[in-house]
Amino acid sequence: MRKLFAFIYQFRAFLVFVLLEAFCIYLIVQYNTYQGAAFFNSANRYVGRVLEFQSGVTDYFNLSTVNNTLARENALLRQEVLKFKQASIADSTRSMDTTFVEPLDTTIVDSLRTGPQSFILHAGKVINNSVRRTNNYLTLSIGTKDGVQPGMGVIASNGVVGRVKTVSQNYSTVTSLLHSQMLISAKIKKNNTMGTIKWQGGDYRTAILDYIPLHVKLAKGDTVITSGFNTVFPEGIMVGTISSVAKEADKSFFTVKVKLAVDFAQLSYVYVVENLQKAERDTLEHNAGILPNE
Amino acid sequence: MNSTFGIRHIVQFILFVALQILLFDNLVLFSTGFCFIYIAFLLFLPITINRLVLLLLGFIVGFTVDIFYDTMGIHAAASVLLAFLRPLILNLLTPRDGYETSDSANLHIMGWNWFLTYAFILIAVHHAAVFFLEIISFEWFTLFKILLSTLFTGVVVVILQLLFFSAKRAKR
Repeated sequence: MRKLFAFIYQFRAFLVFVLLEAFCIYLIVQYNTYQGAAFFNSANRYVGRVLEFQSGVTDYFNLSTVNNTLARENALLRQEVLKFKQASIADSTRSMDTTFVEPLDTTIVDSLRTGPQSFILHAGKVINNSVRRTNNYLTLSIGTKDGVQPGMGVIASNGVVGRVKTVSQNYSTVTSLLHSQMLISAKIKKNNTMGTIKWQGGDYRTAILDYIPLHVKLAKGDTVITSGFNTVFPEGIMVGTISSVAKEADKSFFTVKVKLAVDFAQLSYVYVVENLQKAERDTLEHNAGILPNE
Repeated sequence: MNSTFGIRHIVQFILFVALQILLFDNLVLFSTGFCFIYIAFLLFLPITINRLVLLLLGFIVGFTVDIFYDTMGIHAAASVLLAFLRPLILNLLTPRDGYETSDSANLHIMGWNWFLTYAFILIAVHHAAVFFLEIISFEWFTLFKILLSTLFTGVVVVILQLLFFSAKRAKR
């Protein structure tokens, strides 16, 4: 017995080394499971404060870009509003058609026409961001207090950004689209062909659109948008435009490169998408035996 | 191992981790050259430090960086590996008449040859561990990344030595 203890004592450094490494591997594996919640990450309260301080200093350097983006977004929104206004002016059903009866309960008609309002956007400030690592994350300065929950989608004014991973009271960590294991269900706007967007590292402006079969006709410049086939993103959010199409000899799918619409290096304000029907749709699909596709 | 050891190295710990998070996080060469300067804290520890303490310090510094980088466990694993290998490398590089009590891992005391071999071997091992744990699989691009990053971190470590660790102060 004494010899055993002496043996253990002799190799104590090696044993501690193995123990610590095993613990690290455990942490890596646990954190990598897609939504594995962990306490020690940048959504932590104290870490968040340090990051907020840092972004407080660096924010001043890109104020003009932020202003430009916001102004452009405002212009776009004004355009939309104008379109609706003109449509309602041009719509003469009420004055011309004498048999037209306006329904008392307008919500029924509305929900038939466009579906009930089912998405809420929470605006959040990006306080930590990276684009050059293999697995990139963002930290936002909004948390459960503002209604953010793990698994929600994150979009910017011009396209898809990522998905919320963990949330604390005041901060949240977002898995960026620039993450080696992030997959986003997308489609080509022109002909509704479904595919999957993923990022393979390297350049942070281009991603790959996978699983586009060879019979589909593609052109450079085609728009790629989200498919809306899961509850994370609404349908029709911009992802990017096709920048190159290649047909490789031994593959049954095109190799499509997509230029992402969002410049991740310039992100400063983003919106977290809350889907009000997520729970209902997920339980339905779960009960029907459909596995959730990420 | 007197009380000045504690304060000096605690300050170094905070300084290097802050440098890593606030400055070198944004400083990446050609999207391939990364600088993980926080391991300079482990490299500059006294030569005669207890191996168990070294392992624990390695874990703590790696874990702190992990929290800010959202890479749970990767930097901690690499730093613990570095901390485990450091005494072995130090043994390999022992001068002919052994280390003196006043020796520390300092460029001015141990000389260029000794310091460069010591630093570059350990930095290369650490960076290889980080980049391979990040993707698990093997890619040729990763080797290039390791090479450039090791050079980058190594140069910064040497510059730090030349600027802030004068021969006079180390002799004290």
